Amino acid sequence: MALDYVIIGNGVAGIQAAETIRRLDRTGHITLIGDETHLPYCRPMISMALEGTIDFPALTIRGPDFYEANAITPILGERVAAIDVDGRAVIIGGGRRVPFHRLLIATGADPRPVAAAGLDLNNIHYMRSQDHVRRMLASIDGARRATVLGGGLVGFKAACGLLRRGVGVSLLIGSGHPLSMQVDDEAGAMLLAELRRRGLDVRVGAAVAGFEGENGRVRSAALKDGGRVDCDLVVIGKGVRPALDFVPRDRIPVDLGILVDARMETGAPGIYAAGDVAEAEDIARRTRWVNAIWPEAVEQGRVAGMNMAGRQVAYPGSLSRNVIRVFDMDAMTAGVVTPDDDGLYEVIRERDAGGRLYRKLVFREDRLVGFTLINRIEQGGVMTALIRSRLPIRVSRRRLLAPDFNWSLLLP
Amino acid sequence: MKKVVVNPQRCVGCMQCMIACATAHSRTQSLFTAALETPTPKPRVHVGAGLCGDGFPNRCRHCDPAPCMLACLPGAIHRDPELDTVRIDPDRCINCASCAMACPFGVIRYHVDPLGPPGKTVAVKCDNCVDRRREGRIPACVEVCKSGALTFEEMGAAMKRQTDAVARSVASEVEGKPAIPAGVALHRALRRASWEMNQERKENSHEG
Ligand SMILES: Cc1cc2nc3c(=O)[nH]c(=O)nc-3n(C[C@H](O)[C@H](O)[C@H](O)COP(=O)(O)OP(=O)(O)OC[C@H]3O[C@@H](n4cnc5c(N)ncnc54)[C@H](O)[C@@H]3O)c2cc1C
Ligand code: SF4
Ligand code: SF4
Repeated sequence: MALDYVIIGNGVAGIQAAETIRRLDRTGHITLIGDETHLPYCRPMISMALEGTIDFPALTIRGPDFYEANAITPILGERVAAIDVDGRAVIIGGGRRVPFHRLLIATGADPRPVAAAGLDLNNIHYMRSQDHVRRMLASIDGARRATVLGGGLVGFKAACGLLRRGVGVSLLIGSGHPLSMQVDDEAGAMLLAELRRRGLDVRVGAAVAGFEGENGRVRSAALKDGGRVDCDLVVIGKGVRPALDFVPRDRIPVDLGILVDARMETGAPGIYAAGDVAEAEDIARRTRWVNAIWPEAVEQGRVAGMNMAGRQVAYPGSLSRNVIRVFDMDAMTAGVVTPDDDGLYEVIRERDAGGRLYRKLVFREDRLVGFTLINRIEQGGVMTALIRSRLPIRVSRRRLLAPDFNWSLLLP
Repeated sequence: MKKVVVNPQRCVGCMQCMIACATAHSRTQSLFTAALETPTPKPRVHVGAGLCGDGFPNRCRHCDPAPCMLACLPGAIHRDPELDTVRIDPDRCINCASCAMACPFGVIRYHVDPLGPPGKTVAVKCDNCVDRRREGRIPACVEVCKSGALTFEEMGAAMKRQTDAVARSVASEVEGKPAIPAGVALHRALRRASWEMNQERKENSHEG
C-alpha cells in the first residue's frame, strides 16, 4: 500500500523532509501544504534583498520543477487550521480534509508580537518572509530614518541592511549589547563597538512604549524612559515563537515548541515535527530547547523524512550555532556561550593585544560544550564537530585556543 | 575512482603542495607569473603544524553527505558526480561562512579568488583539480609531493567510509539507537585516521 505523507510548511525543513522521503519511497504520495506561494527560498537571505545586494529570484533554493520532479502534490496559499489526530487528517480552508498516514509539522515560527501603542500606523513591519521585505521596500522610498526593535539575528540583520541602503538607523535593544542570545558580554561589546563605528545608532537598555504618527504614517517611537526617536520606518525584530496555533495540545505535547524525540516524532505516533517549530534535546545544554536556526531546520527535516519513510535514524540532538559577519568583524558561536556560575563549567579565553581576536571555550567535565570566536573563524567547524560528537578532550585545552589549531592536534 | 590520499606521517612540511595548488588555481598557471597576479592566488591545501611540530597537510575530504553542502544558505555547494567532488559555485556564494561552521576538517578559506568573480570574497576550497583532471592530468598537489604524503590512488571503500563517518557524525545522521552518540563515530574515525597515519596502506596496495 502506498503511504500518504503530508507535510505542513514549505520552508526548508519541509522541503528537506519531502526530498528525503522521495529518495527512500518512490511510490508514496507526498502532499506539501504551505501558505507561502513562492518557490522554496532561503529565509535568512531576505535581509540581503532588503539591503539590495541580491534580487528576489536569487533567494530561490529549488527550481520551478521542484514539486513535479519529486512527485509532490503542492497545496500552496492555504493554511492548515486543525489536525484531526484520531481521524488521521489535517483540515485546511473550507473544512477540506487532507488524509495522512504520516504527518510532518514544519510550520516554522512567527515573529513575536510586541505590546506597544500605535502599531496600526503604516510603515511598521515584521521581517520574516519575502513578502514582508517586498512590503518594506515598497515603503522605503522617501524613508530617511528607520527604527529597528530588537538586537537578535533579525533586528540586527534588518538594521545592517537598512544602513547599507543608505537609511539612517536607530537600533533599540533591551539588553546591553546586540545578539545577547548568541554571544557573551565581551564579544557583544566588540560587536557593539563595530556597529557604532559603522554609523549605526545603537541604544542599549531601550524599550518602546508606543509609536506616534501623522496621516497614518509612523513618525516617531516613544521610549519607556520618556525619550523619543524620530523615524518613518519601523522594523520589529523581537524574536520568534513557534507557529503551532493549530496543534491540539491535548493530543500533541507542546512546551515552547512541539516536543519531539530523537526520531523527530511527537507524542502522537506517526506525527513528526522539525525545524523552528520543534523542541528537541539540545546536545550542549543537555535539556530540551528550541534552536530556531537554518542548519537545524535542514537536519531535522532530513531526519524526520528518513524516519517517516521507515528508515530508523536517531538524531543526536540539536545545537545552537551562529556565524555572523558584521562589516569587517566575524563572530561564530555555538552551544553554551555564557554558562551558569554553578561550578559545572570551565571556561578558558584568549584575546590579542590589538583587540581584534577573542576566543572563548566552555567545557563541562571532559567535553567541549560551547565556544565563541571573534575573527579567525576558519576552524570553527572542527569545534562544532567536537561539541556534537561529545568526544572527550584528552589533549591540553589550551591547545584548542591556539590560532594555528587544526584537527590533527585532537588525534589520540 | 582515484582519489587524493593524505599520508601525514610522510609529510616533511616543505609546503610545495601549497605552492603547486596556488599555481594550479591561478589565471596564468605558471609559478613565476602567478606570484605577480592580483589577487594573489592562494592554496586550497593547507600544511599546518602537527602534534610534534611536524607537517600536517589538510584538504577537503569531499565528504558524503557533505556537512558544508547541507549548511550552505544559498545552495552554492553541490556534488559533481563525475569526479565525486564537492564544489562551491563562487557566483552563488554569499560569503556567509555557514560552511566554516559546518566543516569538521576546517579546510575552507574566504578570499577573492583569481578564478572567481572579480573583487568578490567567496568561500574557496579544494576542487580536486577538476579542470586538470579533464585534461588527463593528476591533481597538482600530488604531482609535486616528493615525500609520498599526498598520493593519488584508488581509495578503498573502507577508508572512504571512515572519512564519511566523520562527516555523518556532524550531519546528524547516525543510524540505530539514540544511545549511540555521534561521538562514537567521530572518535572511531579519528582513531582510524591516526592509524592510517602510522600504517602502510596495505588494503590499497593491490589496487591500481
Ligand atoms: C531575517 C532572518 C534572518 C535569519 N538569519 C539566520 C541566520 O543567519 N542563520 C540561521 O541559522 N538562521 C537564520 N534565520 C532563521 C531561519 O530562517 C529559520 O531557522 C529557518 O528558516 C527555519 O526553517 P523552517 O522550515 O523550520 O521554518 P520556516 O522557514 O518558517 O517555514 C515554515 C513555513 O510554513 C508555513 N506555515 C506556517 N504555518 C502554516 C500553516 N498553519 N499552514 C500552512 N503553512 C504554514 C510558513 O508560512 C512558512 O512558509 C533567520 C530568519 C530570518 C527571518
Ligand atoms: S565538509 Fe569540509 S571536508 Fe567535507 S566536503 Fe565540505 S569542505 Fe570538504
Ligand atoms: S560561504 Fe558561500 S559556500 Fe559557504 S555556506 Fe556561505 S554561501 Fe555557501
